[in-house]
Amino acid sequence: MNTLTEKMRALARELLEKGEVKYIIGWEKGSLWYQSPPVFIDRPEDAGRLIWDEFCVNNLAKYLLDDKYLEGRVGLFVKGCDARGINRLLQDRQVERDKFYLMGIVCPGVKDPRQAAGLSIEQREEVPLAAKCLYCAHPEPVVYDVLLNEAGEAYRPKRPAGERFEDVAALEAMSPDERYEFWARQYQRCIRCYACRNVCPACNCRECIFDRSQSGWVGKRMAGSENAFYGLTRAWHVAGRCIECGECERVCPMGIPIMTLNKKIIKELNELFGEYEAGVSLEAEPPLGRYRTDDPDFS
Amino acid sequence: MLKIAKEKMPELLNAWAKIGKLYVPQDQDGVSNFLPWDGKGKLTLGQGNSVLPPKDLFFPRTETMYRYQRSGGALSLEEVVENEKQILVGIRSCDARSIALLDDVFLTKGYVDEFYRRRRENTLIVALACNVAQDTCFCTSFGIDPGRAEGVDIQVWEVDGSYILEAGTEKGRELLGQAPALLMEAGEGGLPEAPACNLKVDLAGVTEKLQQMFEHPFWAQICRKCLGCGLCTYLCPTCHCFDIQSENRGDSGIKFRCWDSCMFSEYTRMAGGHNPRPSKKERVRNRFLHKLQYFPERYGKFGCVGCGRCLSYCPVNMDITRIIGGIKEVDLNG
Amino acid sequence: MVEAVARANPLVPELGKIIKIVDETPDVKTFHITTEKGKPFTPLPGQLAMLSILDVGEAMFSITSQGPEHLELAIKKVGMLTEALHEAEVGQTVGIRGPYGNGFPLEMLVGKDLLFIGGGIGLAPVRSLINYCAEHREQFGHMWIIYGARSPADLCFKEDLFQNWPRVPNCRVDVTVDKGDENWTGPEGFVPAFVEKLNPSPKGKIAVTCGPPIMIKFVLQSLEKLGFQDDQIITTLEMRMKCGIGKCGRCNLGSRYVCLDGPVFTLAQLKQLPNEY
Repeated sequence: MNTLTEKMRALARELLEKGEVKYIIGWEKGSLWYQSPPVFIDRPEDAGRLIWDEFCVNNLAKYLLDDKYLEGRVGLFVKGCDARGINRLLQDRQVERDKFYLMGIVCPGVKDPRQAAGLSIEQREEVPLAAKCLYCAHPEPVVYDVLLNEAGEAYRPKRPAGERFEDVAALEAMSPDERYEFWARQYQRCIRCYACRNVCPACNCRECIFDRSQSGWVGKRMAGSENAFYGLTRAWHVAGRCIECGECERVCPMGIPIMTLNKKIIKELNELFGEYEAGVSLEAEPPLGRYRTDDPDFS
Repeated sequence: MLKIAKEKMPELLNAWAKIGKLYVPQDQDGVSNFLPWDGKGKLTLGQGNSVLPPKDLFFPRTETMYRYQRSGGALSLEEVVENEKQILVGIRSCDARSIALLDDVFLTKGYVDEFYRRRRENTLIVALACNVAQDTCFCTSFGIDPGRAEGVDIQVWEVDGSYILEAGTEKGRELLGQAPALLMEAGEGGLPEAPACNLKVDLAGVTEKLQQMFEHPFWAQICRKCLGCGLCTYLCPTCHCFDIQSENRGDSGIKFRCWDSCMFSEYTRMAGGHNPRPSKKERVRNRFLHKLQYFPERYGKFGCVGCGRCLSYCPVNMDITRIIGGIKEVDLNG
Repeated sequence: MVEAVARANPLVPELGKIIKIVDETPDVKTFHITTEKGKPFTPLPGQLAMLSILDVGEAMFSITSQGPEHLELAIKKVGMLTEALHEAEVGQTVGIRGPYGNGFPLEMLVGKDLLFIGGGIGLAPVRSLINYCAEHREQFGHMWIIYGARSPADLCFKEDLFQNWPRVPNCRVDVTVDKGDENWTGPEGFVPAFVEKLNPSPKGKIAVTCGPPIMIKFVLQSLEKLGFQDDQIITTLEMRMKCGIGKCGRCNLGSRYVCLDGPVFTLAQLKQLPNEY
């Protein structure tokens, strides 16, 4: 057992015993060695289920929305991107800061369980870092109450020297027709399971337009045009608010490069409104969520 | 039994594709699915399960049921009748069982779903035996033989660089007769042994236990990590829920049905706002009870085939094998 | 493959027309519907029809009555389709398919005294049974209809309540409103309390109740108080439905589908099913 796991368990047990939190959200081991799904711990004696390993891929921030009106606090563990998710929810006024206790983890990068499928536990080291971690600029949580490990080179993922907007550049190199063909093919595959939406901390509307098919805005027909309309609407809705946790793309069963779309928008926003990283600071307002007279579009 | 060298398979597929629209697992952008074969695709036969189950061929994601047209004051309606011949190549034993389960839903209990029936009757099914079990496979727990599929027209095994083919039905024999030049007698030789599954579930007494668990706090507990997306239901080979909607363009329109998911809030929400399954607890409970209690009660079979897709793809690993284990552990007197 | 027998597709509606619209209350209208070949189908009392305005939507309604050439559906304005129906005029083309569901268990009712308890639009399914019993009067014992609505304006089927049904031999009708107006001289109060005050004896009776869920809940309590057993009480359920033939999944109560195995259940049957309606 690694020391971080031990620390997590001890702290969780203590918080629950003292009644500091109602319950703890962390990760536990799944059926397979490469699965570390979310877990909810209510009793101190269950704290031993908590674990930390490289498959703790899920961002737990979103669960705070399920218990907004809880009397008392929720304790949860946050990696770098999870913490940006917390800031996302705070900035969107979805949750109140005094309702949860954050236990920060400086994250060495996590691995996508789907990429470990078929490998044996002896091949553990061969599982690549999750795509979403390759360009991570914030392995340290940007918000926490207690930090469980120290930042340092050891926790820095070995990232390739790749550029953050590499995929976007490839897309921009295409002709408009090629680009159209590319996205049409991707969204032809979309099954509208809405996993990308439901896992996204920026998708925090109380009621989503896509859950109201009677509204008539979008058809339920699973066809390229309707699917793409969904994808585009969501991309625009999280524009300037996407925290780049990459969960949408990771969970997509149909392999749609959703982050390429999000990153294209981030790149454009950066060029138009100046560099901005969503969820890093509570004070810096999202570029599309502020009103300023020096806005390029203000006249 | 007949035989064809592995590298000749595309030729056989080409020959069959002339008889009907042929679907076979192929890679598109790194995702393996049953796609129409045009002779050029990248076959993924012999790899794990496709991401989407083959139910799409009988129960398409979206299917136009009828068209309507208004001209002057009169309205006319025309049913869409799809009678295209389809050949489905490369399904696994788990998916073959799922088709039998869908047959129960769509073809029995008082009504025959004509859209499903037409596609089903027009489809020849060629199954491929599993040589390797995926990490997430547990079909054997449902009495499924990964080495031989149920009710298929042709069964195929991969042995030493060749495919061995055996007809299971008259239609299958006819199909094998369509490409005599490509197929040779297999001769003597054993078939590969079916693999053992890594995961197992103990289903004994599960349905009976669940009959007493509707109000149990178990559901409030297991639903917590569920995100409420529809991924599991769309990747599930036995989930069959659908919605019916219309789409209008001026004076004409279509009525279509499309996959729907019991995990969505809109699914049971009535006009006027009442929702009998208002939160994820009720929805998660319904989904697992449907697979493990309601389906067995209605059709005498479990509504799960152990294909492992939900285990592989659920964003938060809502693991039905663990849930079954959890049900077994529940103390009803506790 | 050649189709030897032309099959009817249960998911494809027949086209019909609205031939008459009756204003029942400010938000309830009764639609009389027929097709070119006459009555679309002949339902049993309590069965359902899937009615559509093709470019708006399709929904399941109880069939409130029928004539030799038409079906009658009393429909309350609650959503998009029903709003469109309320705006429709005589001559409007509609789609109709059915009949669906089990209907009332007539074999269980024959020879019994019948107590009908309805609230608001909930009288719609019960009306088909009341009319059936009135037409086959000799097969049933005493008939007692207890009905209530929010206000005098919200009373459905006034002609039946105050003229037709009181004239049925050996039939009693009692009507209450939650709150009366200046012209109302009848009883006031909620249906469950009204039932308890009228104090019908459970002996040899079957009670059939339908109305808003909250009313049903309290009427069931009242009936239990009066000594009715679970197998003496019949009610009908409403669920969102799409196919009507037990395939699309959404109207399940446990392993039963309300569209197929319902909408009529005895309280004894309901108690065997998950409380999820």
